[in-house]
Amino acid sequence: MPWGAAIAAASELPPGRYPHMTVLDLYEEAVSLLLREWRLSPQRVDGLLCAPTGMARGEETDIFTHERLAHALGLRPTFSETINAGGATYGVMVQRACWAIREGAASVVLCLGAGKFPRVGQGGADAMARMVSHPEFEYIYGAYIVPLYALIARRFMYERGTTRQEMASVAVSARRWAMLHPHALMRGAGPLRVEDVLASRPIAEPFHLLDCSVPCEGGGALVVARDDIAREMNPRPAYVLGWGEFHSHGYVTWAPELATTGARCSMEQAYARAGLGPGDIKVAELYDAFSICPIILLEEAGLARHGEGGRLFAQGHCSPGGHLPVNTYGGLLSYGHTGDASGLSMIVEGALQVMGRAGERQVPEAEVVLVHTYGGMMAEHTTLILGRKR
Amino acid sequence: MTEAPVPVQQGVAGPFWEAARQGRLVAQRCQGCGHIFLPPRRWCPRCWSTELEWTPCSGRGRVYSFTVVHQAPSPFFQERAPYVLAIVELEEGPRLMANIVGVEPGRVHIDMAVQVTFERRGEVSIPQFTPAEEGVPDAEAR
Repeated sequence: MPWGAAIAAASELPPGRYPHMTVLDLYEEAVSLLLREWRLSPQRVDGLLCAPTGMARGEETDIFTHERLAHALGLRPTFSETINAGGATYGVMVQRACWAIREGAASVVLCLGAGKFPRVGQGGADAMARMVSHPEFEYIYGAYIVPLYALIARRFMYERGTTRQEMASVAVSARRWAMLHPHALMRGAGPLRVEDVLASRPIAEPFHLLDCSVPCEGGGALVVARDDIAREMNPRPAYVLGWGEFHSHGYVTWAPELATTGARCSMEQAYARAGLGPGDIKVAELYDAFSICPIILLEEAGLARHGEGGRLFAQGHCSPGGHLPVNTYGGLLSYGHTGDASGLSMIVEGALQVMGRAGERQVPEAEVVLVHTYGGMMAEHTTLILGRKR
Repeated sequence: MTEAPVPVQQGVAGPFWEAARQGRLVAQRCQGCGHIFLPPRRWCPRCWSTELEWTPCSGRGRVYSFTVVHQAPSPFFQERAPYVLAIVELEEGPRLMANIVGVEPGRVHIDMAVQVTFERRGEVSIPQFTPAEEGVPDAEAR
């Protein structure tokens, strides 16, 4: 069933460090890039969605980003807000944009994001620990993001039989894709072997350093437009075929289950709305703050049977040339994790793959791409299914 | 040495921390539907009843998941590294986060039987867990 909206344009700044720019500067830089890469006039844009700035840094969060950007761009939108669902923010944005378009509240919605991941060694881990753990019942035990995900990983491994080597092969696969992306942060670091991941220093077991995404800074922009306008901007837009959303818990300790996440509920909605199933998915872009995550999400998406997600990676099926390419831009593991903007990267890539604009890493069969993002401690889930045909 | 983090008390958990100070572990029980839960809330998260009572817990439970942390978030925890961060499922049902103490980190495993112990931090005591003693009935015996 067609939803009447498509991603018409997608641009992203190269992930890196931008020491002389504020997050708002990065927002404006991302818009400048969009305007260089795509044809778009201000008269056309009547929707503007942004994310709060400064969240991943745990300081001075500004939730009026949409007003600041509307001012900077000279826009007077009929549909505009600042949205936050952590890493799932941009999946939520695209969904809300589609709803607004379907309701006639807007016809061209600019979805923007930028972020700076703090350097973990400079008190950043503690600032983020305070944000993501329960101040009364979790923080006091030395919880922060990596161990909280390690708890999910360990339980998943216990229930599904996933091995350390299989997890490491996710990082290996991500690096292979990153080496095909001109802007991937770890492109120049060269290929990775399973042994390299296992030999990197332990952070919170089962995670070693190379099981963790690479903190950096960046930003990007999407244009979600009504079908007919999208086609004027881009003869091959990425139609939004289905979407799903689910919020499963507030804190890891009280998630109902750790091996079964809220992702499944979100994915099932997306398949149902698209009238498609796992067999139709040619490429998957799966949020990967840690190496375990794409394995969990493959199984939650029904793209691998329970216990077999890790094996797909270990056997190279998700790598370049494999039958189920995953994280074709290098993932947060090797492309880079741009703090508050991280959830945009896999949507940009999913859209570019569907549009046939992914350059050296283009998967020719990328007719239907599943993009799953999550926020919080694997708590907030959104799924998008993008396709070449309505 | 940096200061030990203490619980930032918010909401309705006062009686939980008062019991902990006395070396007792308690949870909330819903008088409407019987659900026993932690952390403390103003209402039952299952049925929203506000008729709640405090109920003692045995202090026994099992490791639901755990991680051995090598890189800590702050100097206080770095001094304790490697330490075990775990989610413990109490035999009454609720889950708590805690460190597993009094054991080599490498010996901790999922489903390990543990029992509560309390760690003094300034004015408060926080629940921690340690491997259950031999012969003490654990969750398997319920």
